[in-house]
Amino acid sequence: MKKIEIGHGGGGRLTRDLIQEVFLKHLKGDHLHALEDAATLSLKCDQIAMTTDSYVVHPLFFPGGNIGTLAICGTVNDLAVSGAIPQYISLGLILEEGLPLDTLEQIIMSISEAARDAGVQIVTGDTKVVEKGKGDGIYINTTGIGSIVRRMSAENIESGDVIICTGTLGDHGTAIALAREEFPVESELTSDCAALNKMLEPLFKIDGIRWMRDPTRGGAATVMVELADASGLGIQLFEDSIPLRNDVRFITEMLGFDPLYLANEGKAIIAVSESCSVEVLRMLHNNPLGVNACVIGKVTSDFKGVRLRTVIGGERSLIMAEEETLPRIC
Amino acid sequence: MKSSEQLIKIIHSLVPAEKKIKIMNVCGSHEHTIAFSGIRSILPANLEIIPGPGCPVCVCSESDIINAINLSNNPDVILVTYGDMLRVPTRQGSIRADGTSYKMITSPMEAISIAKKNPEKSVVFFSIGFETTTAPTAAILQMGLPDNLFILSSHKLTPVIMELLVKDTTIAIDGFIAPGHVSAIVGANAWKVFPEKYGIPIVVAGFEAENLLMGLIEILSQLRDGLARAGNVYKQVVRPEGNAHAQGIINKFFKVADINWRGIGHVPESGLQLRDEYARHNANVEFNLQPIKEEKIPGCICGNIILGKAYPSACGLFKTQCSPRTPQGPCMVSMEGACNIWYRTSSE
Ligand code: SF4
Repeated sequence: MKKIEIGHGGGGRLTRDLIQEVFLKHLKGDHLHALEDAATLSLKCDQIAMTTDSYVVHPLFFPGGNIGTLAICGTVNDLAVSGAIPQYISLGLILEEGLPLDTLEQIIMSISEAARDAGVQIVTGDTKVVEKGKGDGIYINTTGIGSIVRRMSAENIESGDVIICTGTLGDHGTAIALAREEFPVESELTSDCAALNKMLEPLFKIDGIRWMRDPTRGGAATVMVELADASGLGIQLFEDSIPLRNDVRFITEMLGFDPLYLANEGKAIIAVSESCSVEVLRMLHNNPLGVNACVIGKVTSDFKGVRLRTVIGGERSLIMAEEETLPRIC
Repeated sequence: MKSSEQLIKIIHSLVPAEKKIKIMNVCGSHEHTIAFSGIRSILPANLEIIPGPGCPVCVCSESDIINAINLSNNPDVILVTYGDMLRVPTRQGSIRADGTSYKMITSPMEAISIAKKNPEKSVVFFSIGFETTTAPTAAILQMGLPDNLFILSSHKLTPVIMELLVKDTTIAIDGFIAPGHVSAIVGANAWKVFPEKYGIPIVVAGFEAENLLMGLIEILSQLRDGLARAGNVYKQVVRPEGNAHAQGIINKFFKVADINWRGIGHVPESGLQLRDEYARHNANVEFNLQPIKEEKIPGCICGNIILGKAYPSACGLFKTQCSPRTPQGPCMVSMEGACNIWYRTSSE
């Protein structure tokens, strides 16, 4: 079995072979052929959105995806919820000496597939290799840029606006927890890892759309607290409206996790004016990733912060995630 | 079964407007359910549910923790204990921050395997908690401990501390929700002393919000009718006589002893120590551990919170210097600690 050697990151012949035999083989596109020092790109828009994220998920492969799928979807989603059309992505890889080439190729194939599905191009990249024991197989950094078609901001939200969640919460976090095999639970649950841009783009045309966010680390509760803080308004969430898969409900209860604080990699939370909420839901329901979309709360000026109306009709406050429930979730 | 909405209506009908009623829960998991399901927000304002000494980590004496820190700094010792205990602050720091050789375990069985894997070391199991955690420790004693495994027992007896609270008229408890897990061991009958000796209703409840509401209804009905009984709305798990086997092995290996409760002080006959026959596994004996006088943590009111005399929000450090990431006192450390629970759920 061929493995990554220190020389693969040295910039010499081994690097060149790796680029030809693995990266270009799967990622070849309009902009990634010339192997020049920088990609030359054009974007037709007034404003661009740019985001960067590093991926250190453990384990590298999990039900529903791998670190490569995450590295594309995560960055695409960060652009999409910012009201941008994601277009170009850079790919930085830090490989650990000894990583099987097959594993790398599998991850690169997933990256290629995820990029194709999301309609983004990998336009530049870099590879470094660290000695055995100094990494954990592979770390990935992706930077994405896209053209902004819709400005969104927490300052836009108003009392009476509606909070929509595009699907079930906590799937990714729970799937990763199970993939770590620290917990003796069998389940068919998979990560929700998916690129949301195709689902969210049609919504940019709707006037009443105010704000969007993908609730990754820290979960839905944390992004709701961020929205409440940034807007100076209150958010009332309804526990009995929060969409949860039955297995996630059961497993999180058993493990003592709160699904509102678990990471999602294929969900968005959207604040929208009440009058547009029905249309937004209808459009979300037309996309396979949004079939479970529903209203989970509303914006209010009655209080500040986030409060959850519990299933028994009581109320409690939600705070930002204090410590990470699960480190290295993405 | 009635819906929670119906149960809440009944509760409102049972609380006379002019009367203040104070019911105490003595179990961290009960406080967790109460806070996370927002029960307080839907009860009549004159019905108070106060958290009492229900968090085992919170009441573990500073003396025992400092001794544990020192043991973990002894090059011949590996200290093993439950995760939360590693982070409890003392004037000498915490086991995690200031100890050297320690391991987290989730069950006493792991203490045995760690001792077997490290025959050249003395392994000390810092065993804390109420009857619920005493039983599994007694179970490993029953199996037989490796020669190099010692028990640092900080076990406490729930009914004894509750009697102390009842006698303190400044708290004025009208009723108790008895802890579900502890009751599974000691049995629902173990609480009869409260109605019979002190005229205070007590009801064993489980951990679902509805079950707790049913427990409250039972207590409030007794109060309305001027009765005091030991009730049980958690019959699927708790039997009147409890778990005779668990009681048997606890009794075989442990004897009742005076013990220090953090923030409360010395309480006669409220703890459990290994019986003299098993002294060779007693860490106190093996390492000649001496009690250390507790020092108050400046600003922390955990003692009053544990006694039901104050809510966490009354502490000046709550949500300012003190948070689950930077716990200043023991009540902020564990998920069963009132300050930790309130930090996560209260808008105050
Ligand atoms: S908030 Fe912190 S310092 Fe205050 S009583 Fe609770 S644990 Fe002690």
